[in-house]
Amino acid sequence: MGLAGDTQEILSAKDIGVIACTRCTRAWPAGTTTCGRCGASIKLNNNKSLQRVWALWLAGLMCYVPANMYPMLQTRTLLQVQQDTIVGGAIELVHHDAIGIAVVILLASVVIPLGKFIAIAFLAISVTKRSSMSNHQRQLLFEIVEAIGRWSMIDIFVVAIMSSLVQLDTLAAINPGIASLFFALSVIFTMLSAQAFDTKMIWDTSHERQGTTEHD
Amino acid sequence: MTDTPTTVTIEPVRGSLLSRLSVVWIVPLLALVIALGVAWKSYSDRGPLISIEFENGAGIAKRETELRYRDIAVGVVEDVKFSEGLETVIALVRLEKNVAPYVDSASSFWVVRPELSARGVTGLDTVLSGVYIEGSWDSDISDAQDHFTGLSDAPLSRHGKEGLEITLRTTPGGSITDDSSISFRGIEVGRVGTATISEQGNFATAKAIIYHPHSRLISPSTRFWDTSGFTFSVGPSGAEIDFSSVATLIGGGLTFDTFVSESGVVREGAEFDVYEDETSARNSLFNASEVEVLEMRVVFDESVSGLAVDAPVELNGLRIGKVRSVSGIVGQDATGARRVLLNAVLSIQPARLGLQQNVTPEGALTFLTDRINEGLRARLVSAGLLSAGLKIELVQVENAPPYEAEFGPGIVPVIPTTKSQISDATATVEGVVNRINNLPIEALMFSAIRLLNSSEALISDTDLRETPQDLRALLNDVRGIVASQDMQNIPVTLNATISRFETLLAQLEDGQMASKLVTALDAAAKAADGVNTSVEGVPALISQLQAVAAKAESLPLADLTTQLTALTSSADQILGTEAARKLPADLGAALNELNETLAELRKGGAVTNINATLDSTRKAADAVAVATQDLPTLVGRIQRVLTQASATIEGYNKGDVISRDAQAALRDISQAADAMTSLARMLERNPDSLIRGR
Repeated sequence: MGLAGDTQEILSAKDIGVIACTRCTRAWPAGTTTCGRCGASIKLNNNKSLQRVWALWLAGLMCYVPANMYPMLQTRTLLQVQQDTIVGGAIELVHHDAIGIAVVILLASVVIPLGKFIAIAFLAISVTKRSSMSNHQRQLLFEIVEAIGRWSMIDIFVVAIMSSLVQLDTLAAINPGIASLFFALSVIFTMLSAQAFDTKMIWDTSHERQGTTEHD
Repeated sequence: MTDTPTTVTIEPVRGSLLSRLSVVWIVPLLALVIALGVAWKSYSDRGPLISIEFENGAGIAKRETELRYRDIAVGVVEDVKFSEGLETVIALVRLEKNVAPYVDSASSFWVVRPELSARGVTGLDTVLSGVYIEGSWDSDISDAQDHFTGLSDAPLSRHGKEGLEITLRTTPGGSITDDSSISFRGIEVGRVGTATISEQGNFATAKAIIYHPHSRLISPSTRFWDTSGFTFSVGPSGAEIDFSSVATLIGGGLTFDTFVSESGVVREGAEFDVYEDETSARNSLFNASEVEVLEMRVVFDESVSGLAVDAPVELNGLRIGKVRSVSGIVGQDATGARRVLLNAVLSIQPARLGLQQNVTPEGALTFLTDRINEGLRARLVSAGLLSAGLKIELVQVENAPPYEAEFGPGIVPVIPTTKSQISDATATVEGVVNRINNLPIEALMFSAIRLLNSSEALISDTDLRETPQDLRALLNDVRGIVASQDMQNIPVTLNATISRFETLLAQLEDGQMASKLVTALDAAAKAADGVNTSVEGVPALISQLQAVAAKAESLPLADLTTQLTALTSSADQILGTEAARKLPADLGAALNELNETLAELRKGGAVTNINATLDSTRKAADAVAVATQDLPTLVGRIQRVLTQASATIEGYNKGDVISRDAQAALRDISQAADAMTSLARMLERNPDSLIRGR
């Protein structure tokens, strides 16, 4: 958090009226629509970035609901078939005194995805609304979300590995439940949503907030 | 910094709403559409909810218990709850939509649970998977229904086990075991369902099924019988234990056979009787149903012991039923006095009455009532000559007093009685016994014993025992005489005598003595003829004896017995007399005397005398031989006489009776011989006189 003290000196490209080509990174004066060097079209798509974030975020959330409602894992032994949802499985583990594993599962499958949803939503809102958080902190939060987000796939890996290993025909078999598909989709959508978030917006908006608006 | 571009004003592009929207929005939109689509599909695929009522819900679990049809899940229990009043359990089952139309009013449901019985294990899969609800319905779509009552047991007919459903009914002695097997030649071809007792309680009925294609074995004349349990019998061939199979021993079972080939179609639900064993099942072909019996009762004035339950009831000698119960009843007898009467309840088999139609208790009652009006009455008779048991006999009584039978529900009709016949039979038996008793068997036996005693005394008498010894001594003496030297010399002497006699006879021939001898012999022949005639009289005597015997035969037995008794006693008296006892002694004395005489004879030189005599005779004969010449004619005559004599002897033998005449004749012959002897002596003394003719 050593960056926290330098906020007032930061200038964004928008502040100095330039725009960069997203392909060859040549900076052009703002308003340029076509890159003079590589010919790619240059457009300001802040608005579209936010839309992408929100759309993917929503899709991820939609997938997250069935991912928790339906069974994640179907364990079939000789005598019985057990189908557990994520939370149900964790509770089952607590009943069997495996609290450590239950905590790991809850962290990886519930806390982190939910935290991601909240973090992304917070970031997306914070670029349009005033936020109490500093730009540096928000940048850091975004980087944490990006870094941690992929680890949510650990659940899916566990299910996939278990399913492929434990296939003893009639004796015992573990099959992925329908929720695993939704959970995977949910993780993918939230990762895409996080990637869709343009961190420049943090700084742009903070500048707008700090200086008086020039355009509106 | 010179390159720093000039500040440009940024003009945000304000396009249309569509152009401003990002394409990415399609993603959540698509997800939403898919979710909605899935939701709608699952809703539209959901079948109807039906409710099934069970008596108990053991093992039925929410969302787990399946409804199966032909062992394939077609629904799942969504909820289990109680009916109002907590009387039954209602399972709400979500059906699959494609099956739902077939689940109509003709459907039935039951819970399949694991079951362990003598026949094996069923529903084993439910041990692991839990119970399931089995449904059965046909392939036709008919009236829809959403509330059903579940069966407590699996129905007999179900998929893969279709068959002919019939109703079985027990007969007295036969029994039905719930849920047992019906086998044919040892193969299970059907099942008996749950049995129920009839309203009257006199028989049990049960639904049963004969699986296809075995159902073609069933015809209207098929008979079922019980093979459960076992029979144990001890007979001449040893102990015997018999049961058809261990399964039927434990679980019970039925079998059947069609004894008479009869082509007939048995309709669904036809009723069959279950008999006690094969024999009664076979017999039943010739009898009508024995299930329905007519109950009637008889009240006897006499309280007679000997009438037992199951005693026969006979009509015209034919057994038509039996006594079901015997009890006392307080009523008025013929004299009007109150006393305990004998009340016998009879069960009459309508089939035994030989009714042509209407073989029912009602028909039998009508028939018997008509007969009672004509004078049919019940009476007690002895079951047998020697047995003390009684039976009830229905007999036609002439001029019987009119009787009005009472009928109505709850009234057991009464058969009027008539005089019983127990005393008559007893009297007859007693008479026979008395007559046998009066026979003088004891007196006869006593006499016989006395006779035997006397005979024994006679035989065991010492004198009689000594008789054989005396006899042996006598014979020894005789042998001694015979073996004596003198006796052995007799033939030699006799030979000489005869040769002399020959010469003497020759002399006699000369001296005309031969003619005299011939006349003498003629006389002897005449005498022999006399003997013959006397012997001829014997056959008449025999015929007379025969007549006497015939008369004796014609004598009455009783007289004979009496006479026999008298005779026996007479014989006894005779044997008992002193004289008779002394008879052996006398006999012994006589023999002794004879013995002594013979001994004397030997001592006295009698044989020597004979020898001397014979010597003399020889001498005389020598003289005669000189004197006589022609003896051949004389010898021929002697031969003739001897022939005659032998004929006489034969006649005598035939008659086997000692005739006085014969004795006389023999005496004459003996005298003639004596005369001959004296003649011979005379000739010996005076041989010359013979020659001289003096």
